[in-house]
Amino acid sequence: MSIDKVESSDAELVRRVRAGDISAYGVLVSRYRDRLGRYAVHMIGNREDAEEALQDTFVRAYRSLARCDAARFGAWLYGILVNRCRTTGARAARRRRMFVHDADALQGSLHAGNDQADRLEWSDTVDRALAKLNPEYREAFLLKHVEDLEYEQIAELTGAGISALKMRVKRAREQLQQILKEAEHV
Amino acid sequence: MFDRHEDVVERVIQQLRRPVAIDPGLDARVMREIAQTPGGSRGWRVWPYWASLAAAAVLAIVLVAHPRSRQRESADLLQFVLVAPQAASVSLVGDFNDWDPARSPMRTAQGVWATAVRLAPGRYRYAFLVNGVEWRADPAAPSAKDDEFGTPSSVVTVGGKRS
Repeated sequence: MSIDKVESSDAELVRRVRAGDISAYGVLVSRYRDRLGRYAVHMIGNREDAEEALQDTFVRAYRSLARCDAARFGAWLYGILVNRCRTTGARAARRRRMFVHDADALQGSLHAGNDQADRLEWSDTVDRALAKLNPEYREAFLLKHVEDLEYEQIAELTGAGISALKMRVKRAREQLQQILKEAEHV
Repeated sequence: MFDRHEDVVERVIQQLRRPVAIDPGLDARVMREIAQTPGGSRGWRVWPYWASLAAAAVLAIVLVAHPRSRQRESADLLQFVLVAPQAASVSLVGDFNDWDPARSPMRTAQGVWATAVRLAPGRYRYAFLVNGVEWRADPAAPSAKDDEFGTPSSVVTVGGKRS
């Protein structure tokens, strides 16, 4: 049996899932896992909680697939994750945000000299700065600059107006500059 | 260290755009959970009112015409899923099909293999047979501890909590 290398569109896969082909949903999960996972990890700040939110997002999406416009599956999925991260973020806010690097990366840094150690330190600095942002600012900043979405798309996902979103992104940039400037002098 | 603050933000953005390693087992956990959705993958389907009536009528006819269908009514439709991108073929084998690979071949969509089997209440051992030679337990289900054949297998309990 040959492996089918032709990538199906999201809409085609959604139609197949609706027709009862559950394996088509597995393709959608693997297609969106890493990108959505990155957003969840940065937004929530804790890998375990982020993966739980991601898993829950995929399961909720599957169970609500009848309500999805097949041609806009990706945006619809993002919307579910954004909401899920808000819930998790509020719950986890009282807990200390914790960032754990891959064991390989940590191990590697012990032997790789200053460059890699510097990169890990910078990564830590960024994570901690991000954690200090107001969640609304962090959300808008990540969606705009990291996930590279247009303001119109972000407005649709978050329910916020475009002017408010532009202000949030601007404030996020200012706060990051300030936080990193202070970190430089510590 | 930072002469121009805007450059700092750009560096932050570049850092945040780097890939983040997500647990590769997440796919299997998602697929396992949705396979347990009541009604299988069709649990969410929205039927028009007229279609529901027609389906009810057809079901009534089938139940009357084929009394044995009443027995099947108590069976659950279970979806079995294995993520195996490198596999050329996968079959579901277990107590319910006499461990015969020909009876439950699985269909694939870009490395995700799936099949649905209707099972009456009970406890079953099962496994996946990959490429006709490699036995694999279900990574998302409990292992069978009493496997006398020495090959990995898993356990599913129908009509109650999976164990």
